[in-house]
Amino acid sequence: MAGREPHRGAAERIRKAIALVNSVADDAGDEDITPTEIAEAIRDCLELGEVDEAPNVRRYLGEALDAVSDGMPADFVAMTLYAALGALREGGSR
Amino acid sequence: MKSAEGRGRTLDEAVDAALIELNESRRHVDVKIISETASETIVEVTVIDPAAAVLGTTMPAAPANGKGETARGLVEGLLKHMGVRAQVSVRTGADPITLDISGRDLGALIGWRGETLRALQAVTNVMVGKHLAEGERIIVDVERYRQRREHTVREIAMRAARQVKMTGDAITLDAMQPFERRAIHLALEGDPDVTSSSIGEEPERRVVVGPRKSAED
Repeated sequence: MAGREPHRGAAERIRKAIALVNSVADDAGDEDITPTEIAEAIRDCLELGEVDEAPNVRRYLGEALDAVSDGMPADFVAMTLYAALGALREGGSR
Repeated sequence: MKSAEGRGRTLDEAVDAALIELNESRRHVDVKIISETASETIVEVTVIDPAAAVLGTTMPAAPANGKGETARGLVEGLLKHMGVRAQVSVRTGADPITLDISGRDLGALIGWRGETLRALQAVTNVMVGKHLAEGERIIVDVERYRQRREHTVREIAMRAARQVKMTGDAITLDAMQPFERRAIHLALEGDPDVTSSSIGEEPERRVVVGPRKSAED
């Protein structure tokens, strides 16, 4: 499993950000997630050096952060974060 | 609506018994557990969409559902570009609008803990977004995975509630996705004896089922 996910730390942080966004989209009813918290989670991802080891990951994360501050719908932010996760996996499999 | 009772040693056996009687597949039914003991499980299996069951999954959606049809067309195109051979249909009578994707070997479309399915749903909502009202969403399901998962977590919630009532101790469940936690909260919200809340941070956020404290406590 570890071989399939070389940038595990970054992947986990991106997943955390995705889960926060999905909570907003799903209206999970057990938390009150603010855009600031989502932005913080994305910034946590950007702090990791791993995101520079695969092409486009930093770019997608930056776009997701912009989308949050622009007040874009949760699904749009989620889609951009999924793109970052996908780029991270692709970069790791090379 | 056709339904049948099934009995078996396990939940699967009980459901299978009812499905054989109904001559139906799991894809088209809803399962309600009537009783569950160590030795026997009794379920009531109801065909949720008899028309679809008879005509197959390519049954056209309700003509009034223009948004659903738009979404269906977009997802079909997306799957074609992905090289996935599958049928997409709009679930009849579902609110919110739900797209069912069916076909062979669609495990890759579900992904690890439903991650790929979730991504597909996000993309679909972005693509269809301009046709939707504010707050309106499209749900995407593959081989009724989401429905089955919601059903499973509701069962987990009920079992946890029974145990909490017996012991009086709170139970912390496994980490779950937001839609799964939501299903648990909804399943238990009407129970006067137990309460549910969530603890921890994503993606390790868990539901805790505990005894409901009375007003005088």
